[in-house]
Amino acid sequence: MEHSGKIKKDAMILCDHVSKSFVNGNETAEVLKDITLSVEENEFVVILGPGQCGKTTLVNILAGLERASGGEVTVNGKKVTDPEPERGVVYQKTALFPWLTVEGNVGFGPKMAGVPKKERKERTKHYIELVGLSGFEKSYPIKLSGGMRQRVGIARAYCNNPSVLLMDEPFGHLDAQTRYLMQEEVERIWSQDKRTVIFVTNNIEEAVYLADRIVLLSNCPTTVRNEFKIDLQRPRDNMSSEFLRLREEIGRHVEMTR
Amino acid sequence: MRKKIRFQNTKAETAVYFCASLTGLLLIWYLAVRYTNLNKVMPSPFEVFAFVGSSFVKNIGSRILPFHILASLKRVFVGYFLACIIGIPLGIIMGCSRTGKAVIKPIFELLRPIPGLAWIPLAILWFGIGESSKYFIICVSAIVSIILNSYSGASQVDPILTGAAKMLGARPIQIFFYITLPSSVPQIFAGLQVGLSSSWMAVIAAEMIRASEGAGWIITTGMESGNTVQILSGMISIGLVGLLLASLLRLMERGLCAWNIQGK
Repeated sequence: MEHSGKIKKDAMILCDHVSKSFVNGNETAEVLKDITLSVEENEFVVILGPGQCGKTTLVNILAGLERASGGEVTVNGKKVTDPEPERGVVYQKTALFPWLTVEGNVGFGPKMAGVPKKERKERTKHYIELVGLSGFEKSYPIKLSGGMRQRVGIARAYCNNPSVLLMDEPFGHLDAQTRYLMQEEVERIWSQDKRTVIFVTNNIEEAVYLADRIVLLSNCPTTVRNEFKIDLQRPRDNMSSEFLRLREEIGRHVEMTR
Repeated sequence: MRKKIRFQNTKAETAVYFCASLTGLLLIWYLAVRYTNLNKVMPSPFEVFAFVGSSFVKNIGSRILPFHILASLKRVFVGYFLACIIGIPLGIIMGCSRTGKAVIKPIFELLRPIPGLAWIPLAILWFGIGESSKYFIICVSAIVSIILNSYSGASQVDPILTGAAKMLGARPIQIFFYITLPSSVPQIFAGLQVGLSSSWMAVIAAEMIRASEGAGWIITTGMESGNTVQILSGMISIGLVGLLLASLLRLMERGLCAWNIQGK
């Protein structure tokens, strides 16, 4: 199950020896060190890493919102330099536009791309339905609960029809109960409408529940420590003995990264 | 359900306190004038309200009270409108563009501490004593807080939201219209609110210098003829109209920024 990070040069996403340092006065903080990983099309990869170890920086580099100090990221053979709608992001703090309704948020990407109103409306409706928010089309984000806001965030990313979804600890701020529910939802939505997903979390159980493959990161400066292929049948039962065994084993590796 | 009832209660409570505090003020005023020597310099509230009432049909100077107020309002609207169409774009340019900020901010910081009323002498020399100088004074009085708030609104746009818009494919011009502008609306409104009360104050000052009608004129002529009833009537009308203007703007804000109001 454990396998060393062998890179396939023809993978959809290729993160090739990426490093990132921040210079602050005379001090240089190395956040990412020589990160190499690849992701296949429609694969669900979970990046698992402890606390404040630069996971968000890695997501921002994959998204094109930040530049790597060294190495490069390519998606479908094309180098990532700027934000582009082919990569959708679901944020930890939802980052919904508070002045737009659920409908307005979900339809934002298509609107920017100039999709005709009728088609936009249909697409928006479809994705609001997919995330289970029908009836809340006209609500403003301020009136929604944390879990509902994350659903809007997911629908907004999906509605723009990206080939890659980057999810940066999307459930970090939710209570435990809602978190379980949202994990099931993400699994369901992804099974219905497959995309290539890179999902970042610090929660081992969440990682084992969702991932085709887990990439375990070390602490600062962050680098790839290990990879685990998860071959359990979906949807997974997080009480099954196989699930618990995997969780424990990966947990032991996480311990070692501290 | 329960929440709604509570909400109505607080609203009713506020209204009761509002009336009680105003009645209290009038009562103290009345008693003070009735039983102390204050009556040598102050009329009683009844005299003032009687004067306000009668001036709806009887001229003060050349016209009735509502027309005086309309004359002042017209000046405010012209000056304030100018301040808005100059101030909002200037503030937003300062907030969005680093070059814009570098060019405009030093000038603005230098002019900002000068009160609008300090411009009166220059205004009179430049524009004479007619209406234009009043518009100018009102405009410079209102513009400072309008620029300042538009600037801080446009410069404090959450970078995560801008990033999210970029990821969804928004181009810079779209980010400006769909993210920067709507996200600064509440701040801009705060500036408009302060600017409106500044311009209402400025019109009174401008009219006290030279005018033949207006709420400020009522006060000054009252002073010249030693008529305290007329002075207080003018002052009360100014207070009421100012309150009305602020409430109107607040209603407009509530409509435009519904997304920003919790639980509405």
